[in-house]
Amino acid sequence: MPVLSVRDLSIDYRTRRGPVHAVRDVTFDLEQGETLAVIGESGSGKTTLAVGLIRLSPRSARVTKGEIRYDDGKRAFDVLSLDTERLRRFRWADCAMVFQAALSAFNPVITIWEQFLDTGRAHGMGDKHKVHDRTRELLDLVHLDPNRVLRAYPHELSGGMRQRVLIAMALLLDPRIIILDEPTTALDILTQRAIIDLLRELRGKLGFATIFISHDLSIAAELADRMLTMYAGRIVERATVEDLFYRPRHPYSVGLMRAVPRVSGALGSVASIPGSPPDLIRLPRGCSYYPRCPFHVDECLQQDPPLLRVDTPDHEAACIRWETVAAALGSDAEAPVAEKLA
Amino acid sequence: MSGPLIELDRVSRTYTTPAGTIKAVDDVSLSLGESETICIVGESGCGKTTTGRMLAGLLRPSSGRLLFEGADVWEKKGKDLARFRRAVQLVHQDPYASLNPTRTIAQTLAPPLAKHKKAHGRAARAAMISLLERVGLTPPADFLLKYPHQLSGGQRQRVSIARALTVDPRVIVADEAVSMVDVSIRISLLDLLHNLATEFHVTTVLITHDLAVARYFGRKGRIAVMYLGRVVELADTESLVSDPAHPYSTALIAAIPEADPTITRTKKRVPLKGAEVPSLLNLPPGCVFHPRCPLSEPGLCDVVVPILGNLPGGRSVACHVALRERQPAAELLGVR
Amino acid sequence: MTAAATTVDRRDVTRLPGPVASIFEFLRTMSRKPVGLIGLIGVVFFLFLAYVAPFLVPLQDQVDVTSIYAKPSFLHPLGTDFQGRDVVNQIVYGGGDIITTAILAALFSTLIAITFGSIAATLGGRIDALILAITDVALTIPQLILLIVIAAIFRPTSFFALAVILALLQWPALLRQIRAQVLSLKERDFVEAARSLDLGLMHIIFREMLPNMRSYIVIHFIIAMTLAIYAQAAIMFLGLVPLSGRNWAIMLYFAYNQGALFFKDSFFYLMGPIMAIALFQLSLVWLASGLEDVFNPRLRS
Repeated sequence: MPVLSVRDLSIDYRTRRGPVHAVRDVTFDLEQGETLAVIGESGSGKTTLAVGLIRLSPRSARVTKGEIRYDDGKRAFDVLSLDTERLRRFRWADCAMVFQAALSAFNPVITIWEQFLDTGRAHGMGDKHKVHDRTRELLDLVHLDPNRVLRAYPHELSGGMRQRVLIAMALLLDPRIIILDEPTTALDILTQRAIIDLLRELRGKLGFATIFISHDLSIAAELADRMLTMYAGRIVERATVEDLFYRPRHPYSVGLMRAVPRVSGALGSVASIPGSPPDLIRLPRGCSYYPRCPFHVDECLQQDPPLLRVDTPDHEAACIRWETVAAALGSDAEAPVAEKLA
Repeated sequence: MSGPLIELDRVSRTYTTPAGTIKAVDDVSLSLGESETICIVGESGCGKTTTGRMLAGLLRPSSGRLLFEGADVWEKKGKDLARFRRAVQLVHQDPYASLNPTRTIAQTLAPPLAKHKKAHGRAARAAMISLLERVGLTPPADFLLKYPHQLSGGQRQRVSIARALTVDPRVIVADEAVSMVDVSIRISLLDLLHNLATEFHVTTVLITHDLAVARYFGRKGRIAVMYLGRVVELADTESLVSDPAHPYSTALIAAIPEADPTITRTKKRVPLKGAEVPSLLNLPPGCVFHPRCPLSEPGLCDVVVPILGNLPGGRSVACHVALRERQPAAELLGVR
Repeated sequence: MTAAATTVDRRDVTRLPGPVASIFEFLRTMSRKPVGLIGLIGVVFFLFLAYVAPFLVPLQDQVDVTSIYAKPSFLHPLGTDFQGRDVVNQIVYGGGDIITTAILAALFSTLIAITFGSIAATLGGRIDALILAITDVALTIPQLILLIVIAAIFRPTSFFALAVILALLQWPALLRQIRAQVLSLKERDFVEAARSLDLGLMHIIFREMLPNMRSYIVIHFIIAMTLAIYAQAAIMFLGLVPLSGRNWAIMLYFAYNQGALFFKDSFFYLMGPIMAIALFQLSLVWLASGLEDVFNPRLRS
């Protein structure tokens, strides 16, 4: 039973030149306790999707159609139909978002304890002592010393500590879903590693489901159970993490996998994707990846291909040429794409 | 190759802040030959950008010398200094800040061509077209009249590189030149920079926090790993990533997430003692890495500052234990 | 890269010859903000009124005792003054001097601010400290009072001298802005690139830095013009400069001193110059607000 079901979600931005179709007909399920990674270039719509899920989109954004159904077994509702008050409760109590731990994610003039207290109060935790106990418990959980951190101001903490605080704060009301937006991007490698390990540990202990948005494939390789590739606002591939890394079937996923060099193992045939993403206001006819795609044929221009089942029931790709892609990769072995193409 | 082209000779750079004196770079020596590629790798605050700026002659070292073709750059004056400045060009990290927003691409490329190559009118246009082609902006004529805001991040970085090439530099220092462009096009930018070294004999220095990028770019060159202002390891790229000699590089490589679920989830870790990096204001005595280092030995590492020494295989490492055992730290820590 | 080239905006005007393209582009951006466009039209109208209209309309400064304070009519759309002269005619002839003085004052103050602001930021050290100290002193003196004192002492007779005096009072605010801008631009990557390309100080100041400050400069220029007009109106109204020639502010002075306040029929004589000044000022302010968009390259496309 999925905790979140998204159906045909489309989000536009209004601009002077016309509507930008940032998210188009996105459909997916998030199962209880699983980790779903959404990957894609900037402009692929992944961030619009993430903030759209909790309706934090900027004013210029408009959901043109679709449904976001939340169901935790006890309560079920469509997120898009919530009124302001119930939406506010949904945002922290059921589904919390962790942003990049930039200083701007905090109010700079109050202590960390006051940030927790404000968050708790804003979401109906009236009892100060209860907030305090819960906060200490959470800081312990993210391996921070409550005595030191609670009294500190945001600028007194390192980037890694701030990220831990943000994670702890997201957990304040024990949500069933956590959405992470580039959770480790600005951090150093060793700190990044510590945060990844922490997320894995928390997920095991608390059992929440995670959606995370990243342009960094290696973080997805670390944490994801399943993955979605987005291109030009659409989901173009849906697969388990192993399938997507070792047996991608959409040429764009192949291109992304190939564009990221590794530190260990063979370098393989690494290459960039030529060209740039399409203009989301004037989308071309047919497959939007056509101009950049090495596998394209004339038939690709006839319609924007729907998601097709490939290989296994859990694997879909929006490409009519997926069998050719599979053949080009050769084997189905657990080896990265760049190696297979070398 | 006859002697190094450009050389940092025991340079340090200190900054005075209200909170005290900071040694951003401490006793760093690097020597680069013609058409060599080298990556300077490290985390934020390690001094890699300061080192790059000193190499480019944009920042004067507090002590030590910058040598170009054997001559001390900061002793140069007037025309000689200007000639050196042109010989070393920097490509900045932020493609949105490195081009003047009020000038078209043609207006950006024309002045250096006019001043240093006396190319005007048609000759200048032809030179600009060929530069834009060389950096992969095709068709070049389409780009000349564009403003920076009409280009993508990757295209801007290419324009930055073209601008650097207007003065035929001998050295290009690229400071995090790909970290702000989309993952999908990083490799092509790295290839472009790499070609400058191989085809046009430009010495190319890439400063990056991303070891995977460094490995790809520097596959035929060397990597210098910096930590808290010091070079802790300097080695050929492949031996550094497969068999790091310093415990810090070892820890970094073991910690780095990889774009391969099997490898990344089964990597052997190096357990570090402390998670937090010491403040530059209050550096530990002896080896700056000793408070976190799993190999550190009391009485040695917390007292004596290690200097770069040679291990077999032409690699240099600043670690007492690795040098004494004559083995890279990766072996000593069992994470090969 | 080729894919990006094909997605270029169709309204791209870079293919037109330079000046035509920039005028086209300018009007297109201005037309997006109605207020800016109205301001532009207003300013053009008043400049026409002040500099072109006098060549088209004959001067009427004959005293006509038969029509003192005449009501608005076809012959005198805004009535006549205390000597029976046409008010509209005086407004047409009274714009030139006051606007010229304002433009000159704004020009001088902008030049002072750019020159010394850039010097302070580029050289730094003691020179910077000295320039800043003078600026702060100039900023803290009550301007109107100082202006009245200076005007009373020097009694400037030419609008050129008056413009210099006005300029000396207006430069400090822009100087601080220019200095701050240069300080931040100095550290920008593209300026550093220009330095390592050895393009020279003149290139860096005039080609790299100044174009990035043009919004400050032009908007300051316009605001300085409005201040200069108010200052002129004030000192002329107080009768502190020798009153010769035709001028909106002088009209006000006479209207007030000839008791226009007490005649019902002189309403238009009094309101004429006030409205001329107010509408011109409003046009300037609206133009300035419209220009902010024009100078922001990101808003342009």
